[in-house]
Amino acid sequence: MEQLVLLLPVIPIISALMTQLLSSSMGRRVSRISVIGGTLTFALASTLLLMVLMDYPVAHYSFGDTWGSLYFDPLAVLMSTVIAAISLLVRIYSVRYMAEEYGYGRFFVLLDVMSASLILMVAAADMITLLVAWHLIGVFLYFLLGHETRSFSAFRYGFWTFITYRFGDLPLVLAAAVLFHTFDSWSLPEIFAAIEANPDVTTFFGFRVVEVVGSLIAVSAFARSAQFLVHTWLPYTMEGPTPVSALMHAGIVNAGGILLNRFAPLYLQTDSVLHWVFLVGLITAVIGSILMLAQSDIKKALGYSTMGQMGFMIMECGVGAFSLAIFHLIAHGLFKGTLFLSAGSVINQARKHDGIPKDELYQFIVERRPTRKHFPWLAMAILTIVVPAFVLFSSHFAVAPDLFEKQGAIILLFFGWVTGAQVLFSTYQMETHHPWRLLLLVMTTFVIVVLGYTYISHAFDVFLFPDATFAHQLYVAAGTDTLLFNLAAISIALLIVASWLRTYWKESHFVHDVVTRHWARNFYAIVSREFHVSDVYKHLSQWAINLSSRINMWLRWG
Amino acid sequence: MEWHWLLIGLFFPLFPLSIGFNALLNATKAPWLKVILLLVWPQIGIALIIQHQATIPEWLQYWGLLSSGLYAFRMLAMREVNIWIGYLATSSWALLWIPAFDQLSEHQLQIFALGFSLPLAIMALISGEIAKRYGAAYTGLYGGLAIANPRLTGVLVVSVFAAIATPIFPTFFAMLHTLVLSQPLPSIWLVMIWGTWSWCAARLLQGLIVGPANLPYPRDLSVGMTWAMSLLLGALAILGLIYTGNLS
Repeated sequence: MEQLVLLLPVIPIISALMTQLLSSSMGRRVSRISVIGGTLTFALASTLLLMVLMDYPVAHYSFGDTWGSLYFDPLAVLMSTVIAAISLLVRIYSVRYMAEEYGYGRFFVLLDVMSASLILMVAAADMITLLVAWHLIGVFLYFLLGHETRSFSAFRYGFWTFITYRFGDLPLVLAAAVLFHTFDSWSLPEIFAAIEANPDVTTFFGFRVVEVVGSLIAVSAFARSAQFLVHTWLPYTMEGPTPVSALMHAGIVNAGGILLNRFAPLYLQTDSVLHWVFLVGLITAVIGSILMLAQSDIKKALGYSTMGQMGFMIMECGVGAFSLAIFHLIAHGLFKGTLFLSAGSVINQARKHDGIPKDELYQFIVERRPTRKHFPWLAMAILTIVVPAFVLFSSHFAVAPDLFEKQGAIILLFFGWVTGAQVLFSTYQMETHHPWRLLLLVMTTFVIVVLGYTYISHAFDVFLFPDATFAHQLYVAAGTDTLLFNLAAISIALLIVASWLRTYWKESHFVHDVVTRHWARNFYAIVSREFHVSDVYKHLSQWAINLSSRINMWLRWG
Repeated sequence: MEWHWLLIGLFFPLFPLSIGFNALLNATKAPWLKVILLLVWPQIGIALIIQHQATIPEWLQYWGLLSSGLYAFRMLAMREVNIWIGYLATSSWALLWIPAFDQLSEHQLQIFALGFSLPLAIMALISGEIAKRYGAAYTGLYGGLAIANPRLTGVLVVSVFAAIATPIFPTFFAMLHTLVLSQPLPSIWLVMIWGTWSWCAARLLQGLIVGPANLPYPRDLSVGMTWAMSLLLGALAILGLIYTGNLS
């Protein structure tokens, strides 16, 4: 029965073939084949998920001898279900959305093969299958983004995505070669068993295999999940059809987190890789959020929001919270997919009527009217600092008392605390006739969100990594020197507390800081050019093309 | 240096000996002759290697890698489709020195070479068809092929991706196998070449297929021809699935 996992990528491939062959005779009705294929895939994936929940043993099954093997395990089945669900919704949405577009049948063929590749990627149990799926996703995405072949800009930005993905694939290819050189196997279960038996095995130039391969895989994950410096493709892919944007932001871009999770047994044995994974994720989360705030175009803002979320997801892996990254990417995928699919109607409605009531909130945000009524600033500052900390720590303590021994958990709680404090600070800035009622509402919402997040993420941890020792070791692998960590955590906490107090004091006393404003203007100028990253790439690629042209002329095209 | 290696260097093209092959391909006007040239050229190299029966000097691998990299880089700015095909053929065949050095069987070498040659041969045919309709097979000149000639575009796109070693075509497995046989530093060079092929392919396609098309549309590829080429590419893909380059 578990062998049915092999059927998961086969159904969409059959659907794609049938759609291609029948598209000229069936016309627009051909989309039904794709929708039926998607429904069957989702039904099968859900059945398999149910089986995993009923404690069927983890296994892997293969189409061939060397490659073509798929996992039947919690990660593979859970992610297959999510992908099948999202791609089914995207197909249903596209039936009408794409009805007047040229290449209707081709679009559904591409959706089907993309769905098959994604499922193959999350379930791959050998390096060749993983490489095949990983590579094909980039190719199919290029054609989906450039579906409107008359649009130069759609293809231009699709090209950015394709090139980033292709060059991002290369480290994964090298990792596969290093693993094969070392262990003489493509099979992931065999490779992980060999690593567990001998974690210190070395490769070329005496480097540890786990460090080299872990780094290469992380770089591939960064390119796929739009981490800083390889992120430029993500916000510009909005030229593609909206269903493709939804699929991309809800499914494809998450591949980095899934890849890191798949290689969790390898990261368990690394010394330093997870530290810089954390750093890259942190930088991306911050920069993505800054760039999002600077956008006036809703779809581009959503693109940068995804970048920030992806940064946070990678950061979660970097602190050892691998299962939390999976929960995060699923939650993010669902809400971002919904936002994209509804973006069109929102824009359409906004064109007719902006629908924004000119209430106190509008006056505060848009017209920048200063607030006159305030909570007492010191009381509010103390509430801001204490309440989120109390809620977060008590809820996590209720779920897993030993959580606070894990440095990764402390870091994530730290972020939760800052987010909670920001929410309360925003409340403080609002002008209302019932300030305490508003505050109570915000706090209640915060508690519900924190409790939900805590309990669901704990359930994910138990589901994906039932071996508690394994999950604990992941945190250990991501950890650093305790004294150093504690000193850093206390210093940053004090800095943040001081900053909040200063911010409250300034807000309540209407202090205008000229130097800060000047600095902010300059910073905005850089942000508006998106830190010049795209400009640098543009110049470098143009330089390469010019050089190539010159060499061709020197050699007389021979 | 033995003269045999130089002779083989003509067929497993090493720069500057590769200039000969590219000149010959450009001078050949009939598409069917181009196809024969693309299919036969590396096979002659394999036959010569087998006949010579001597251990290949290691430095030839590096010369092959450098030649391959040079031609991959030159493809970036190349807009004439026929010359582009010649460059990709040179870049891919020059890599055959690596499996040849590792003494892969004659049969495997032949399959590797054929895997690279076949999609290039189909591209040469398509290029001839484009030249017939538009006067020249030249990227960035007219565009809009996807609208005007969808069948021609479909075959062109698949053959280009097959030629640049995209899964599940045999070229992908040949590249993977070559990578496994390489030393660490050359393997980094090798994957860079692989990535550059993709960059060049995307530039080539965008200059041909994207954009609005001018009316009246030229006649599309015939249904029979489309089926024939699609079946050939399909067979190539199935061959890739069955024959994975003895990767185990």
